[in-house]
Amino acid sequence: MGISRDSRHKRRLTGGRMPIHKKKRAFEKGRQAAMTKLISGEKRVRRIRVRGGNFKFRALRLSEGNFSWASQGVAKKAKIVEVVYHPSNNELVRTKTLTRGVIVQVDATPFKLWYAKKYNVELGPKKKDKKDAPAEQTKKSNSLQKKLAQRVKENVIDQLVQEQFSNQRLLVRITSRPGQSGRADGYILEGKELEFYIKKVEQKKK
Amino acid sequence: MADVQTQRAFQKQEGIFQNSKKLLAKKTSKGVRYWKEVGLGFKVPKDAVEGNYIDKKCPFTGNVSVRGAILKGIVISTKMTRTIIIRRDYLHYVAKYNRYEKRHRNVPVHISPAFGPVNEGDIVVCGQCRPLSKTVRFNVLKVIPNEIIGNVRKQFVLF
Repeated sequence: MGISRDSRHKRRLTGGRMPIHKKKRAFEKGRQAAMTKLISGEKRVRRIRVRGGNFKFRALRLSEGNFSWASQGVAKKAKIVEVVYHPSNNELVRTKTLTRGVIVQVDATPFKLWYAKKYNVELGPKKKDKKDAPAEQTKKSNSLQKKLAQRVKENVIDQLVQEQFSNQRLLVRITSRPGQSGRADGYILEGKELEFYIKKVEQKKK
Repeated sequence: MADVQTQRAFQKQEGIFQNSKKLLAKKTSKGVRYWKEVGLGFKVPKDAVEGNYIDKKCPFTGNVSVRGAILKGIVISTKMTRTIIIRRDYLHYVAKYNRYEKRHRNVPVHISPAFGPVNEGDIVVCGQCRPLSKTVRFNVLKVIPNEIIGNVRKQFVLF
């Protein structure tokens, strides 16, 4: 291995060389990058003992994560479907590598179910026979119906996010560090950020 | 309007939620902007509060705190993006001859986009912050415009 994180191998600000007067130390060592891969259905996480007796969880293969819908204030566990964009390196997109900051497509069903339960509104593709009446299997009390109606009135949902529900896929940005914590968690993109990344993905497709 | 999003990743201020329901409802909203005072009597430039730029190393709109030493220097180079080189002159006493000699140090300093274009020769007040890069540990807090005749690198200006 021999990955060392010292500054003694670098030159000074003036351009001069730094004299190497000691060997590499253990506290300066680095480890190989995790390169967590997206493999559907698999989860492979290794526990590594690090300096101080603490543990890091190196995720080698992941397929699920906990994603938050920030404007609604919920987080749901969902399957990661595909890696779509990485700001640092296109190679990572091609090899389906999960890192912090990568944009992935996530299965939208957990959020759809939650939304239906909370607002009694079905997100997603419009069915032929469906009008405005949502699928009402259970009888709801008057007070509950009033509560739901009030919620729908106060609710705001981003247009682009709503459109994504029709494809059953949501764009999500990973904010955890899979090679450090062993998880791929993130947040659903909304607003200007969503527009930005949709544009980037379209550009790549061309 | 000059576009802020010139990088491959979406530039935003960390920790500021731009997608609350209230903001999503307003189709073309300016969004929330985070800015802070740096203390020690330094005024926050108007552009930091009203501007659009994203700079995580800016002392007013980014994630750096100014603490420790406050230095003054004269700008000698503005060729880098968002960072300048300043020159600090001082006198060093030589005991044997009871006299002083001129010495100088060049310090790389991060400059926020909040300050407009800075020219060589301007005087700059900068504050110490945590290491922002391999060589940068200071951040510009105030720019005092100044005209220098001749080559800036050959002047000796004591503060």
